[in-house]
Amino acid sequence: MQTEKKTVNQFEPKVIAFVCNWCTYTGADLAGTSRIKYQPNVKLIKLPCTGRIDPVFIIKAFEKGADGVLVSGCHPGDCHYNAGNYHARRRWIMFRKMLETMGIDSNRLHFSWVSASEGKKFTEVVNDLINKVRAAGPFKSYEKINKEYVIND
Amino acid sequence: MEEKRITKENLIKLGSNWVNDGMNVYVNNGKKYTLMKLHEEDLKGFEEAPPLMSYKEIVFPKTEPILYYKKSQKEVEIIEPKIGGVKNIVIGAKPCDAKSISIMSKVFNWDYKDSFFNVRAEESVIIGMACKYNDEHCFCTSVGISPVSTDGSDLFLIPLANDNFGVRIISDKGKELISKYESYFTNGDSEESENVLSSIPIPEKKFNAENVKSWLDKNFESEFWNTTAEMCLGCSQCAFVCPVCHCFDIVDEDYSFTEGRRMKNWDACQNGLFTKHASGHNPRDKQPKRYRQRVSHKFKYYKDKFDEYLCTGCGRCSRGCPAGIDIGEIVERIDKLTN
Amino acid sequence: MTELKNLVKSLLEEGKVTKVIGYRMYGENNTKPYIAVTPNDAEEMVLNTDCRNNLSVYLTKKEIINGGKTGIVAKGCDIRNIIALIQENRIKEEDILIISAECKGVGAEKGSAVYANKCVNCSVKTPHLYHELVEMKGSELSQPKDKYTEAKEKVLAMNSGERFEYFSNMFSECIKCYACRQACPMCYCEQCIADMSIPRWIESSATDRGNLSWNMIRAFHLSGRCTGCNECERACPAEIPLSFINKLMYDTAKEEFNYESGMNKETPTLIGSYNTKDNDNFIQ
Repeated sequence: MQTEKKTVNQFEPKVIAFVCNWCTYTGADLAGTSRIKYQPNVKLIKLPCTGRIDPVFIIKAFEKGADGVLVSGCHPGDCHYNAGNYHARRRWIMFRKMLETMGIDSNRLHFSWVSASEGKKFTEVVNDLINKVRAAGPFKSYEKINKEYVIND
Repeated sequence: MEEKRITKENLIKLGSNWVNDGMNVYVNNGKKYTLMKLHEEDLKGFEEAPPLMSYKEIVFPKTEPILYYKKSQKEVEIIEPKIGGVKNIVIGAKPCDAKSISIMSKVFNWDYKDSFFNVRAEESVIIGMACKYNDEHCFCTSVGISPVSTDGSDLFLIPLANDNFGVRIISDKGKELISKYESYFTNGDSEESENVLSSIPIPEKKFNAENVKSWLDKNFESEFWNTTAEMCLGCSQCAFVCPVCHCFDIVDEDYSFTEGRRMKNWDACQNGLFTKHASGHNPRDKQPKRYRQRVSHKFKYYKDKFDEYLCTGCGRCSRGCPAGIDIGEIVERIDKLTN
Repeated sequence: MTELKNLVKSLLEEGKVTKVIGYRMYGENNTKPYIAVTPNDAEEMVLNTDCRNNLSVYLTKKEIINGGKTGIVAKGCDIRNIIALIQENRIKEEDILIISAECKGVGAEKGSAVYANKCVNCSVKTPHLYHELVEMKGSELSQPKDKYTEAKEKVLAMNSGERFEYFSNMFSECIKCYACRQACPMCYCEQCIADMSIPRWIESSATDRGNLSWNMIRAFHLSGRCTGCNECERACPAEIPLSFINKLMYDTAKEEFNYESGMNKETPTLIGSYNTKDNDNFIQ
């Protein structure tokens, strides 16, 4: 946890993490049971495998106001389903390039491999992303097209 | 009929004045009914094909909220959206487009009076323009419209020599619109306009719509349909560009767990999902059935119910069809079957 | 070389195919898709520089492909889609018979004097998978302006905020008719993700947000699969330059994986396969 005092208006990034059930989620659990602290801005969403993480989830997260997204799963070779993460990696290579060209900055979207034993690494990855997003500020691009999704009576 | 005259330059200036007055002004620039900014647009369209999209969006937007809701544990609060408040003006509407609002207004007013449509229709002023364009896809004369008809226009432009326009005042709405800006106009010469109008060739009728209807009355189940639109991809562009297609779909969109809105979006009968039931059953499960619906709705059902063809003969659907399906040609074939 | 008409006629007469998907004239400088079922139907078959359509989209429609071997008239670019469909196990090679020709390129639109954009730098003018060869008719046209490179440079010069704005403006014209999807030979899902209502991943309203999401997902679902036939762009009534983002993904596949879709029916598809040595440098 960060120690400095927060001012009232300080920007708190919203970060969504899509993680695989077998490695990263268990890694996050380990971080918890080992009492390693990390910034609380991240919301974890558990999925069976990185291969199950449809890019539409990531778009939806940004659409609904996420400032950053983390996608994390088992190291290559360690997939519970043998090859889910290899397939996912191919997809990410293409997807990252597309988002980058279409104006979603790649420092708002992180990918990582975190195994069940890497509780420490999980906190590092999360802190790193949150710090980067904090430095980059709120994700404003969607703000303009999201304006109509507010009820003004 | 009262007639005035205006130069093109003044007409564009007049449009800019309306923009300044806070109105939405759409100008036919030959390719598109484009939303006018100040002094930017050129008025074309006398000799050009109808723009790719019709301007039905001004009365029937591609997507619009019909209500907002807020939920609490005990109740649901419904908030009505604000409709209208901005006048829409179309300069240079093709006669085939000008008719569209009056055709659509029948379906939006026969039982439930659709205020979304009515408020906007009331606030729209259509400045039609005579049309000299005619290609193999045009068939306005076959459905009772002509390149010089003023039906549906509030003002009507007749292109004269040297970038001048004869302006005929058709309705009170049109008269009111220009009353503030009389100085832009000079006195018109109806003889000169009449000469221009009579020089516009009126295309021959391609089919007899009544014969088509009587064939459709009897041939719901016909082999004809299976061999008609077999190449249709179901892409629905025909319905989306059509000036009078008015089908819509209603969906709820949530902003959060407690707030959201209900949207009305364009939909099209060529889309397989259009008739799919929640059970999974689809009464129009194949493209020929969907195409039959399209033709029948335009030339039979609407005529039965509202005594009007749901088609203005603009030919957009045929010009844009990626599979080269031409509704005019198909209806012509039906007409030939009756002889 | 056999004349197309005679070839189709004899194929149908001998019962080698039950139908042939091809082109027939539609006005003076235009053609439209057509299915010949009887030998007499073959009389209308043409293949010339006005044959813009990519007919392989009809191979994804069950009601057309069912009921016996299907013949199809295909240019080199269309063959790429047929190969891609074979790669993805959508169709079987033995169910179709490809009639092709040394391609002369096609006009951009009806009566156009320039080639369509897809013909620029075409590498498959000589067909790479066919069963019968005929001659393509038509005269030479001129090269179109390269809009893609221009647009790409423009986009790459922007910062991310500007890019986002650029694309959301581009797609704000979208009217959600899904003509791009229907015209695409590679968009054959029984249920499109855009049509799913529970959960609704992509808002079906044609709002700026719904439009952007739809176009992102469409482009992504075609990445590594799109062959660049530009049928989506041709079908789009809102005139959105859809080919730009498609081409960009195509180039990415080429740069990253040296993969071009629809070139070889034996290679596994890009997204359906993997390599343990794939680029890993962006993953922490």
